[in-house]
Amino acid sequence: MRKRILYTAFFTLLLCASAWGVARVVVGEQEEEPEEFDLKEVIFTHLGDEYSWELPGGAEIHLPVIVRDREGAWHCFSSKYLDEGAEHEGFYLAREGDRARKVVGRDPAGNEYRPLDFSITKNVVAIGIGALLTAWVAFSLAHYYKRARFKAPRKGVGFIESLVEMVYKEVIVEVLEKDARRFGPYLLTLFFFVLISNLLGMVVVFPGGANVTGNISVTLVLALCTFVVVNVSGTKHYWRETFWPDVPLLLKFPIPLMPIIEIFSVFTKPVALMIRLFANMLGGHLIALVLVSLIFLLGTLGSAVMGGTVVISILFSLFMNVLHLLIAFIQAYVFMMLSTIFIRLARE
Amino acid sequence: MSLFTPEFGLVFWMLVIFLILLWVLGKYVWPVIINSMDERAAFIDKGVEFTQEAEKDREQAKVDVRGLLADARKQQMDILQQTERMKQEILDNAQKTASHEAKRIMESAKLSIEQAKSEAELQLRRQAGLLSLQIAEQVIRRDLSSEDAQMELIDKLLNEVG
Repeated sequence: MRKRILYTAFFTLLLCASAWGVARVVVGEQEEEPEEFDLKEVIFTHLGDEYSWELPGGAEIHLPVIVRDREGAWHCFSSKYLDEGAEHEGFYLAREGDRARKVVGRDPAGNEYRPLDFSITKNVVAIGIGALLTAWVAFSLAHYYKRARFKAPRKGVGFIESLVEMVYKEVIVEVLEKDARRFGPYLLTLFFFVLISNLLGMVVVFPGGANVTGNISVTLVLALCTFVVVNVSGTKHYWRETFWPDVPLLLKFPIPLMPIIEIFSVFTKPVALMIRLFANMLGGHLIALVLVSLIFLLGTLGSAVMGGTVVISILFSLFMNVLHLLIAFIQAYVFMMLSTIFIRLARE
Repeated sequence: MSLFTPEFGLVFWMLVIFLILLWVLGKYVWPVIINSMDERAAFIDKGVEFTQEAEKDREQAKVDVRGLLADARKQQMDILQQTERMKQEILDNAQKTASHEAKRIMESAKLSIEQAKSEAELQLRRQAGLLSLQIAEQVIRRDLSSEDAQMELIDKLLNEVG
């Protein structure tokens, strides 16, 4: 009972904190210069990467910018020097175009260029938080087993165990059989990292809120890992199937039609993985953003319309968020399952 | 579209963080968890097997006990029957002996009675003869002293004969 009250209080506080930020924006709009609500700007800032992390109430965490300029010199400074379009050590944030909101530099000839950017951005921090949480989750289960060997865990640890059981026993062992032990750790790490990152992305304030798995760079790395694992562990049979598949000779001899298709599919599999996760998570974030932005877009038409939109938008975004919660889980599961199946196909 | 182009820096950091995570978890965590889960599953399987065996043993013991009980009951019945037969036999024997003895006793009794009777008869006859002789003596001695009486008797006897 006390725990429930604490939970309620915590989430109410979270809700108020985020509402305060919104209210500031709205009030600010009314009192100061009537700023045009820029939907594109809002969406791209939220979905893309940033050099700082906005906290509820307007505070900001400034993250380090690490760039290497054309001459090969490294520059490392806080992103607060780049606020409001300021220039620091010859770098500034681009305003528009493909490089909008990215650090760019200007070479002696006066041309804008994109330096090698190793900045610790919002997404990098979010990935780190996701990784730490994943490690914590996994370590807590391992720690439990060390402490109580043959006991079944309860509550939180029990939930983690049921997830591990579901992923490992129901999918990995079923599909990979004797290879389960070899590839299990990779697939479990993949599943838990993606799941936790997906869920963190749905939390609106600080530790969450970054669009990690909806960022193509992240899904690219994950898919690349699967690609490497699949092809490095591929058996002779797999490569024979790829380059000399078991089809009538005419389909592969004068023109290697089937080998071309097979080789193509070696690459399309991870690309499909990458796009699937990326598009699903991006879509979820986009819908949530658009539904909330609708309030501000239609707000200019008057208070009655705005009131109506608030109700409809909140109901819709609640519905979409519940759906997104489901998708967050399903996509993590699907990514892991397809990786398992691809490994299995390469191991036959 | 910046959303659809991978960012090199982010790819780099993601790769680094993910590989570290993979290495740490793959080395220290997942094997422990998988081993523990397998061990526990094996432990539970063994427990179940043990319970099943115990159950089977118990069933077997039950059957055994039932057999033993039936055997004991049968034996009991047999013994009872045997006893009954023996009792009957003894009784029969006793009866036979008793009746035999009784017959024998009766016979000897009858014999001695017969003997006694005949002896008594003999004695009685003798006694009666004796007595009648005495009586006759008395009668003859007293009454036949007078002439008249003698005549009277002679007459009477003659009448009777006549």
